[in-house]
Amino acid sequence: MNKFKCAVMWVALALIILLISLSIYGAFLGAARAEDFFNRLPLAVYWTALGLLLIIALAAFRRLVRVPGLLLIHASCMLVLAGAMWGSKIGHELQKRLFGIDKIRTGRMAIYEGESDNLVVLEDGQTFRKLPFSIRLKDFRIEYYEPQYLHIQSRQGQGWKIPVEIGTEFSLGEDFGSVKILRTFENFRITIEDDRRVPYDDPQPGLNPALEVQITRPDGEVSTKYVFERFPGHTHPEDRFLLSYHRVISDYVSELQIIKDNKVVAEKDLEVNHPLGFGGYHFYQHSYDDEAGQYTILSVYSDTGLPLVYAGYWMLCIGVFWHLWLRHVFARFKAKST
Amino acid sequence: MEIKYTTQCYVIYIAMGAYLLAFITTLLRRRKTGHILYRFGFAVTVFAFGYRWYHVRHVPLQNLFEVFLCSGMIYPVSLFCHRVLRVGGYGADMLIGTVVLFPAGFISRFSAEPQQLMPALQSWLFTPHVAVYVLSYIFMAKATFQAICQLTGRSPDPDENLLHPEQATYRLICVGFPLLTLGLVLGSYWGKRAWGDYWGWDPKELWSLASWLVYVGYFHFRYMFGKKHPRINSLWAIAGMVVIVITLLWVNLASLFSGLHSYAT
Repeated sequence: MNKFKCAVMWVALALIILLISLSIYGAFLGAARAEDFFNRLPLAVYWTALGLLLIIALAAFRRLVRVPGLLLIHASCMLVLAGAMWGSKIGHELQKRLFGIDKIRTGRMAIYEGESDNLVVLEDGQTFRKLPFSIRLKDFRIEYYEPQYLHIQSRQGQGWKIPVEIGTEFSLGEDFGSVKILRTFENFRITIEDDRRVPYDDPQPGLNPALEVQITRPDGEVSTKYVFERFPGHTHPEDRFLLSYHRVISDYVSELQIIKDNKVVAEKDLEVNHPLGFGGYHFYQHSYDDEAGQYTILSVYSDTGLPLVYAGYWMLCIGVFWHLWLRHVFARFKAKST
Repeated sequence: MEIKYTTQCYVIYIAMGAYLLAFITTLLRRRKTGHILYRFGFAVTVFAFGYRWYHVRHVPLQNLFEVFLCSGMIYPVSLFCHRVLRVGGYGADMLIGTVVLFPAGFISRFSAEPQQLMPALQSWLFTPHVAVYVLSYIFMAKATFQAICQLTGRSPDPDENLLHPEQATYRLICVGFPLLTLGLVLGSYWGKRAWGDYWGWDPKELWSLASWLVYVGYFHFRYMFGKKHPRINSLWAIAGMVVIVITLLWVNLASLFSGLHSYAT
């Protein structure tokens, strides 16, 4: 190996070790600070140096060009770097200055049910920008795993997990009697009728899931209890059981429409793992109104640089598998056949 | 640490016992008996994994309990390494099997309580992403054992026609590295689909990048100085395993690294 090649390899090794150290350092910072750290100017210099080194390596080492696997691996790293830099904050600013492309890099938008909006709150939480189209929220809903369960714990520490099936009586054994779930509520409220407190399920906006539970003691005495999902510690000193009601969320669904020039141009039920892509942006289910379920919060990401990154991923995988696995497998088959 | 009195864990204890006995009998040069016990331990671990799958109603790779349980099915990897790659280490694999099942069986932090999949985990990427990582970690664990053998000057019996530990380390890393790469790429793609960004600078992501880079460093160092400094090659391989252990365990268990992957304990 001549001196130049040796120097290139040394620099490569130094940059790899430096990136290992930076990654470990970044892991101690937490995601938000790490993102800020890796997007600073010194790190931009580092990424540029890494990209340049890859180009120099391809020029200096003929083997990297001659061996398809090695070429794919090294070229893929350049593509991923280029895509990531093009889609970064600095990349977006450069595009604005150089080409006049002014895209929102990332932000959030809150949309109420039945309304449409195109305002995006940027990362700083204060600046607003408008999308070139609007998004309408037809409906937002939370889906839960079935069956849901009522958890019962006696004062002596015994526990039961009972599926929420209305009208079915479950025995807790001779010492504890039985339990029956009478009603479920999505939005539990109480009204006063004839000096009596009457619970009802309020159809108005609001979330207060609850169960009406009938407990029958071994001596036949019957009592009714209300178990609230959002108030798990709700109990009285005389209660024989601690009851809790917890539903496990299986999905969040925002039914969306994209509106451009007063026309619905796209429609999608946005779920976790099923983002909506439109007009150079991707939209994700981010959060929701946990008080009344009236609005959804979407996160918005620009797709700038993404095709380059994905192309790099494909090339990296093909290159690595070809170079380290497949070419040896084919060589072995070839040797066997000859 | 505790004994877990559940059917699931009783099966794990039987598998651990079989692996440990297999290891001891192999050490005592009763290889045939050791091999039978190893296969029995594997069959029991497969049963434990299947039982878990039936119990939780999804591929059991959601948390560390399930990941360790899956890692315990190491026998096919041993077989593949021995027959195809000409890499030994059956005895070490039996010990690795016992060690990886230990947290699932005894560590109270790794709960055996079945959990339903949170929305972000309900993706076709869930199984391949975790499975390729588990498989790559097994290969890298075997590579680490070979690296230690190289450092301690141990060589396989000449009759067995197996590779020298340094070459064996390289060959195992060559098999494990593409899987590690695929795991990283699938994770990144999944992150884009679930959370919006293909790289979120989360501690788990950064540690997994660090572990991938250590093996990248290993390849570059070995290419440059492989023949001059073979012992340092082995140190790279061991360093890779140290970073993998931190990625797998410390990041999930320590509150120091809380992030998007903290659910997977």
